[in-house]
Amino acid sequence: MANSKKMKSNANSRTQWIALTLLGIIGLICGAGCNRSDTTAPAVNQTTGGKPRIALVMKSLANEFFSTMAEGAKKHQAANAASYDLVVNGIKNETDLAEQVGLVEQMVAQKVNAIVIAPADSKALVTALRRAKEAGILVVNIDNKLDADVLKQAGLTVPFVGPDNRAGAKQVGEALAQKLKAGDEVAIIEGIPTAFNGQQRRAGFEDAMKAAGMNIVSIQSGLWEMEKANAVAAAMLSEHPQLKAILCANDNMALGAVSAIQAAGKAGAVLVAGFDNISAIRPLLEKGQVVATADQHADQLALFGIEAALKILKGEAPPADQTTKVDLITK
Amino acid sequence: MSALRLMKKGALEYTAMLIIWAGLVLLFGALSRNFLAVSTFVTLANRIPPLTVIAAGMTLVLIIGGIDLSVGSVLGLCGSVLGVMLVGHHWPLWAAIGFALVIGLVAGCLNGILSVRLGIPSFIVSLGMLEIARGLAYLVTGSQTKYIGSAVEGLSEPLRGFGIAPAFLLALCVIILGQIMLSRSVFGRYLVAIGTNEKAVRFSGINPVPPKVTVFAIAGLLSGLAGVLYTSRLGSADPNAGIGMELSAIAAVVIGGTSLMGGRGSVVKSFVGVLIIATLEAGLAQIGASEPSKRVVTGLVIVCAVIVDAWRHRVSGQLLKKFFPKIAGCF
Repeated sequence: MANSKKMKSNANSRTQWIALTLLGIIGLICGAGCNRSDTTAPAVNQTTGGKPRIALVMKSLANEFFSTMAEGAKKHQAANAASYDLVVNGIKNETDLAEQVGLVEQMVAQKVNAIVIAPADSKALVTALRRAKEAGILVVNIDNKLDADVLKQAGLTVPFVGPDNRAGAKQVGEALAQKLKAGDEVAIIEGIPTAFNGQQRRAGFEDAMKAAGMNIVSIQSGLWEMEKANAVAAAMLSEHPQLKAILCANDNMALGAVSAIQAAGKAGAVLVAGFDNISAIRPLLEKGQVVATADQHADQLALFGIEAALKILKGEAPPADQTTKVDLITK
Repeated sequence: MSALRLMKKGALEYTAMLIIWAGLVLLFGALSRNFLAVSTFVTLANRIPPLTVIAAGMTLVLIIGGIDLSVGSVLGLCGSVLGVMLVGHHWPLWAAIGFALVIGLVAGCLNGILSVRLGIPSFIVSLGMLEIARGLAYLVTGSQTKYIGSAVEGLSEPLRGFGIAPAFLLALCVIILGQIMLSRSVFGRYLVAIGTNEKAVRFSGINPVPPKVTVFAIAGLLSGLAGVLYTSRLGSADPNAGIGMELSAIAAVVIGGTSLMGGRGSVVKSFVGVLIIATLEAGLAQIGASEPSKRVVTGLVIVCAVIVDAWRHRVSGQLLKKFFPKIAGCF
């Protein structure tokens, strides 16, 4: 049987190769098309010269937070088309560091004037960014702060513009705590444990809960995902029947927690808090199914980074690290 | 007489798997405070319909010696389409669900036609579909989670006084129909024959192309159904839904003793595989295991379950030869 399969595969191998090649070509066309759509403006304007080109390197554009950020940056560029050009790139998976390093290298090869980056990892990107800086490219760090120790080791100073996730999460936690009594059981669903912003939010939630004298009975990861958080929340609810609140490190996970609470027939008895203020959370905030979330103003976050880069390119001294505002949203 | 033998055969078939499942339940019952409660199992039952339905389709695909890696992405796409049609275009529920199912069916047909007619390995075709469907899911939703709310929650609303949601009953129907089709219909016999020796099937004057394409189409349709069930349970359409679900489905199906080489498999046993995986996930969350240890344990259980299944095959084969020589050949 093995033989017959082999023979069959030989007979089919030409068709297979043709098909594979076709697929490859289609892939290339698609890839080229996508890249073009993102880089059209700079490619056209490159010849006009004079204007600085800024590359915005994001995390996953499949994530609403980063796509909002990219939209905000594109709008800003359209309004200021005379003063700079913009190249926006994102990676496919939040965790695909190699792809983001590749993007940085590509931008270095294209000789952009500045790279504004939301690093997918606070340590792993430092080497690539050092090389960019050595090639004479200005680097500005947004959103997720690069690790201070690793930067020091690499002998690099990078201005940071971004939110204080810990303070934001603390505000959300405090708003939630007002609706609880000291000693109530609460649980935290955190993001991917290795992500710096996730760690900060968890720490902020813990700060607020401890300050208010709550009893944190469980902390588990929902990996930023709705369905994972739903499973974790369901388990928390049946293991801890006295649970009064679940704090989620992003709104997607809060949506998952809300449906777990409903499924357990505890709607109203268990409060939920989120983070990010995505559009899907708003109806739940209005109905009171989610008590509070935090808005980091994703659309403006990239702008602050771009504006900082433009200032430095004009010869101004690099600004000190800049904290952008995080607003508490309760309605 | 034959009824008794069939019962013994059935009992032997399912004993090993049910022992693994019961073992897990007892283990988690001992390790956590509230695992052995009706609510745990009700939650479990209401959580598994999407994976169950997908595993049923995957079983058929593996039986004919193919593989479908696109199921998770197609789930995401169909859920997204459902959400966009309901929220953005205000379609009536039945039309939106119908449209989502058609999308799933089309994706499945494309997988089938490309892999069977052009002779491209289904691994490659469905890998392409995995990317295409996920990309489309992000495109139709604009990378935003759509909150739908009560419009779709009916399917996953627990029935009064019963606790179980219609979605679970629907999934159970899919399993039962799938098993009847596989073991009691001519079409099902064709599938097993194709998976065992496709050449022999062709030489017997049966054209293997239509059944094979049909199987991929069924898998696509079931992924679409899973997308609908998933969306109804969470009350929101999430373009990231079902990432990695193809691997959970394959794991569940293989735990259920279906051969990756084709020619052997059972839909009901895939369902027990789903139960094992879901129980593991719920139990680990309930005892509050850390994220890394959850993954290690899940991996170990998958491998152990397959080892036990292989061992069961040998032992039960020997036992059968000893006590029921006439039907021992069935294994």
